Amino acid sequence: MITAHALTKRYGTKTAVDDLTFEVPPGQVTGFLGPNGSGKSTTMRMIMGLDLPDAGSALINGKPFSDLTWPLREVGGLLDAKAFHPARTARSHLRWLAATNDIPVRRVDEVLDTVGLTSVGGRRAGKFSLGMSQRLGMAATLLGDPGVLLFDEPVNGLDPEGIRWVRHFLRGLAAQGRTVFVSSHLISEMALTADRLVVIGRGRLIVETSVADFVGRSGRNAVRLVTPDLPVFASALTGAGAELGDRDGDAVTVEGLTAAQIGDLAFHGRLRVHELTPITASLEDAFMELTHDEVEYRPSTLTGAPGAAREE
Amino acid sequence: MSLVAPTLPAGRYRLRNVVRSEAIKVLTLPSTAITLGLTVVAGLLVTALVSHGASFRGFGFDSTQVALTGMIVAGLAGGVFGALLITGEYSSGTVRATLSATPRRPMVLAAKVVVTAVIMVGFCEVLSFASFFLGEAVLSGRGAPTATLGSPNALRAVLMTGLFIALLALMSFGFGLVCRNAAGAIASFAGVVFVLPLVMHAVSQSTVRYLPTNILANSVMSTVNQGGGPGGTGPLSAGVGLLLMAVYATAALVAGAVLFMNRDA
Repeated sequence: MITAHALTKRYGTKTAVDDLTFEVPPGQVTGFLGPNGSGKSTTMRMIMGLDLPDAGSALINGKPFSDLTWPLREVGGLLDAKAFHPARTARSHLRWLAATNDIPVRRVDEVLDTVGLTSVGGRRAGKFSLGMSQRLGMAATLLGDPGVLLFDEPVNGLDPEGIRWVRHFLRGLAAQGRTVFVSSHLISEMALTADRLVVIGRGRLIVETSVADFVGRSGRNAVRLVTPDLPVFASALTGAGAELGDRDGDAVTVEGLTAAQIGDLAFHGRLRVHELTPITASLEDAFMELTHDEVEYRPSTLTGAPGAAREE
Repeated sequence: MSLVAPTLPAGRYRLRNVVRSEAIKVLTLPSTAITLGLTVVAGLLVTALVSHGASFRGFGFDSTQVALTGMIVAGLAGGVFGALLITGEYSSGTVRATLSATPRRPMVLAAKVVVTAVIMVGFCEVLSFASFFLGEAVLSGRGAPTATLGSPNALRAVLMTGLFIALLALMSFGFGLVCRNAAGAIASFAGVVFVLPLVMHAVSQSTVRYLPTNILANSVMSTVNQGGGPGGTGPLSAGVGLLLMAVYATAALVAGAVLFMNRDA
């Protein structure tokens, strides 16, 4: 269990983390979402006792990090994939870490095996690919078999297979009853990995909720309709109170009516339907809607840029 | 709260755990063996060359001092070694792994200082004796006046030279803690040890004797009883010189420690 209470961190006049309060319960994967620069990493560093908060507190199982009796046995943190000396072998890196918390050396081989690095344990970690570095970092978090785990952007830069591996790894840890807190700016990935979400923007809490609830909140529910009779259908739809969105050939996005209502309209008007698909808002849509005003560095007008963004 | 009941051992992590971990860290870095190995080779080579070429017919020939010349190389290497031990942690990000495993910073620092000191004192003492015996052997082959460990002040010079260089390494470790990057720390060290004597020599001759380089060459490595206390103008006595070096090293370490305790990692 991780508890952040009124956590605040300032750098000069800039407030990186602003009065942040949330909880990360055990047995679930809690995703920590926010745009780049929203204070996710700073928050995680404060939980891990690396940065001192200017106000508020971050507690692990009710205790500040510095009061933990055997930190590695209580918390595993992967905040930086390359937090090892490049000249040291993977095994040596884990050995010195194990020694700090009196963890037996055989654990080093166990965790190397868990992350699939046994065969390269004797190689210099500096030669590792990003994916292997991430795995070494994960092995380090597991050394003390801790109940609380933190991962900062663990899938950044990984290939699809690596991403999938991390997803299963995180879900497996939560299934064992551990507290898993994982930050990401990749929303689609969080949709697959997380049970709960803590969403922040500009260092402030936007929402703390379940993934399902988060998507539902967005309230944007539409139906995609493909029909060769679009002109006639369109007037029938607007007549029934629907709003029509983007058109693309025979396809149109309809808001304000359910798929069933649209189907009934087609039946009564003898109109052809080639496709009728309800679109639930994606996590991404919900995220964009909620963090729209909280993105710190927004590109200004992109006129002339390749693939210039359309104005909403 | 957690479904996984953590079975924590009694007590908490202690200094001996951190010291063991720091020892593993130093010993598993290839650069440790390389730096120390090169120091042995270069140091003994300098001793051999200087002992071979030194003129011994003039007044004031100090056989022990000549035989210890190579230790100046060890002083340079020790400075680099001490700085890299801590700046390597920052450049690689290892310091965050360290503080996540053992968040009590005073203890982490104490462990690092203990490990650095033990390694440097052990290494420098052995090298100091090796340099002495090698230098004396070369000098005796040339028919020059030689010294043995039984000669007046010879043992004192050999032992104190090793200690002095270990202190130089600790001072550099302190610089590394302040700068947190190798370039800054090694530049500071080189500045104090190599550049400052040149500057002070031009500015104020009487203060030169308080500088580490001059203490090492004229007070610690020398067997001539200097007897110069702080009041005089000649080189400091070996004891006072070593004590002053200890003060310098402590000052650098304290400055580094204050920053280490209060800065974000």
